[in-house]
Amino acid sequence: MSVLARSVGNAFRNKVRTGAVVAVLAVAIGLALSMLVANQAVAAKVTELNASVGTVLTVNPAGGQGFEGGGEPLTAEQAATAAAVPNVTDVVGTKALRLRNATEAAAQAAASTQASGTQAAGPGGGQGGPGGQSTTTLTTSLTAAVDAGTLGNRNQAAEGTTGSTGTTQPARSLPITATGIGAQVDSTGKALEITEGTGLSDYTAESSNALLGTTLAEKNGLSVGSTFTINDQTYTVGGLFDAGTTFGNNALYVTLPSAQTLAELPGELSTMIVTVDTLENVDSTKAALQDALGTDKADVTQGQNLETAVSSLDSVKNISFIAFVAALGTAGLIILLIMVMLVRERRREIGVLKAIGAPNRTIGLQFVLEALVLVALGSVVGAAVASFASGGIASALISSNTSTTTAATTGRGMPGGAAGLPGGGAGFPGGGPFGGASQLLTSVTASASPGVIAAGIAAVFGVAIIGALVPALLTARIRPIEVLRGE
Amino acid sequence: MIEVKNLVRTFKSGDRTIKPVNDVSFELEQGTLASIVGKSGSGKSTLLSLLGALDKPTSGDVVVNGVSLASMPDGKLTEYRRRDIGFVFQQFNLIPNLSAVDNVMLPMEFAGVRKAVRLARAKELLEQVQLDPEKHVRRINRLSGGEQQRVAIARALANEPKLILADEPTGNLDEQTGEHIIELLSSLSRDHNTTILVVTHDRQLANKTDRRFRLQQGRLTEEPARTRVAAAATA
Repeated sequence: MSVLARSVGNAFRNKVRTGAVVAVLAVAIGLALSMLVANQAVAAKVTELNASVGTVLTVNPAGGQGFEGGGEPLTAEQAATAAAVPNVTDVVGTKALRLRNATEAAAQAAASTQASGTQAAGPGGGQGGPGGQSTTTLTTSLTAAVDAGTLGNRNQAAEGTTGSTGTTQPARSLPITATGIGAQVDSTGKALEITEGTGLSDYTAESSNALLGTTLAEKNGLSVGSTFTINDQTYTVGGLFDAGTTFGNNALYVTLPSAQTLAELPGELSTMIVTVDTLENVDSTKAALQDALGTDKADVTQGQNLETAVSSLDSVKNISFIAFVAALGTAGLIILLIMVMLVRERRREIGVLKAIGAPNRTIGLQFVLEALVLVALGSVVGAAVASFASGGIASALISSNTSTTTAATTGRGMPGGAAGLPGGGAGFPGGGPFGGASQLLTSVTASASPGVIAAGIAAVFGVAIIGALVPALLTARIRPIEVLRGE
Repeated sequence: MIEVKNLVRTFKSGDRTIKPVNDVSFELEQGTLASIVGKSGSGKSTLLSLLGALDKPTSGDVVVNGVSLASMPDGKLTEYRRRDIGFVFQQFNLIPNLSAVDNVMLPMEFAGVRKAVRLARAKELLEQVQLDPEKHVRRINRLSGGEQQRVAIARALANEPKLILADEPTGNLDEQTGEHIIELLSSLSRDHNTTILVVTHDRQLANKTDRRFRLQQGRLTEEPARTRVAAAATA
């Protein structure tokens, strides 16, 4: 019988105790593997986020952002200035438009006129939000895919009767966000995910084609090749995209010149999406860009939502790593204590083995192998536990760690649903087309891949060997005469 | 040949110093069957553990075939025990979760003997000590005391040692089984030229040995003993 066979046999000497030890080890190992899986999933997500949008800077007019604030709009000249800043690889301008259903807009205008006689625009008429400096509201044949809901109706009730004398405002749907873009990217600089049809080919020229969000197209019964109107001008659906959010899919994209023409504001930009060559250069380029454009002219930001999201994910990553190390340490400690107990219990046997000529290393190896047999059994059960539990544990970690973050990130901008203000509850620019930190966070998928499980089990075995070495070394200190004298 | 030279082993017990082995000297030729008798606590087992390199003497030396144990490092002492010594304990001290044949194979495994060779030799030894073949693969705790002692003797013989040290080998056995064990040890000494030193209370066993020693308060004296030839002639 070899040392290994003897170790396996010893591991099963007391089956009840072995079962209990394996169960405890399985919990510790399962937890360690689950934490490692969560850690790897979050790390992969952070890398993905950094790779996709981490080098993107957003330039807004100073004092304004999206449909909020004031200040002067950005211009094509400023885009050229931005493009000349070192390390900037690309500058994409956007022009935001707000579309309202033509029929509803007419009905509301009539109602407002009837109510006040003078109020033709403003919140009650749904024409622009507070400030509203960089957006233009146009009419369309489309109907928004997002219902006003509680938030929308609450805001409508609060603002829809402004200046009225008790006249009930007609029901209205939410506005639709239309964005003119200079490249096939969304407002965060992330490539648009076209699910049907094609892109708009040349985004720097006027075009009568448009890209529609999937839910917006579905709501209006449109598909690729269908037509709709913006300010009585006919547009053809060139493709459908999936932004991943309900709010994001209640939007459409046209080419930048088309949007500028529709707004009758040629050369004017709502935002600029600036791409920096490397992640390392982002901070310095951000400062250089701010200097070049002037702090009184433009605000340069580094995708605040993503920063918060990545920071939050980093936090989850750190917590999961610490938990992995702690669970690993616990497994090692369990092995250490169990093996110390076994060595004490088998002192006599160790003495006999030494008396008949067993070298210390053989006896030590026997105990280390016995520990590894227990760990192997614990790992099998632990891996099974991890494969089922890792997803849930990762989700619990992420949701508990990001609840405050997501509340903060989605709460920016105006609450959605109000007449004249965009959004279906997500807000803008805090959520909606900018991706939404919560969306990014909850899209982390923790699946127990064989590679990660194997790496985790290797770490468990490493710790188990260290844990078993201490009692194994203790066997070297046992003198046979001392235990045999007990006879 | 084993030479024991002025061997002393002392223990501290509070303020007292106990000398279970006090200036013991003797020589044993290869192939001798010898016995040490004495009262409980007279130091018999301590002397045996010194000869078997399980314990180190306070002073004096044991020289085996010209090699001094006193100057040997621990690693070499382990090797000496593995190669040159076979132990038979009163309590058998077999590994309980292993079979009889696995127990006998253990010393050979430590000596690096190939598995096939050690398995064949273990079976041969178990047959030699007359253990029923169907009990070779039986776990130790399912064997009787006499059977366990036979397995212990087979284990002691596994690496063909020059010296077998047996501590009360019949102490836990009934008279008939004890008789058989005595015969077995005697034949081993005779047929394999193995030196056997038996510590015993058993007068019958002591009378069958070539040389008989008495240990009293740590001091060893030799008693006249009948040679096996004489014993055989009388019989």
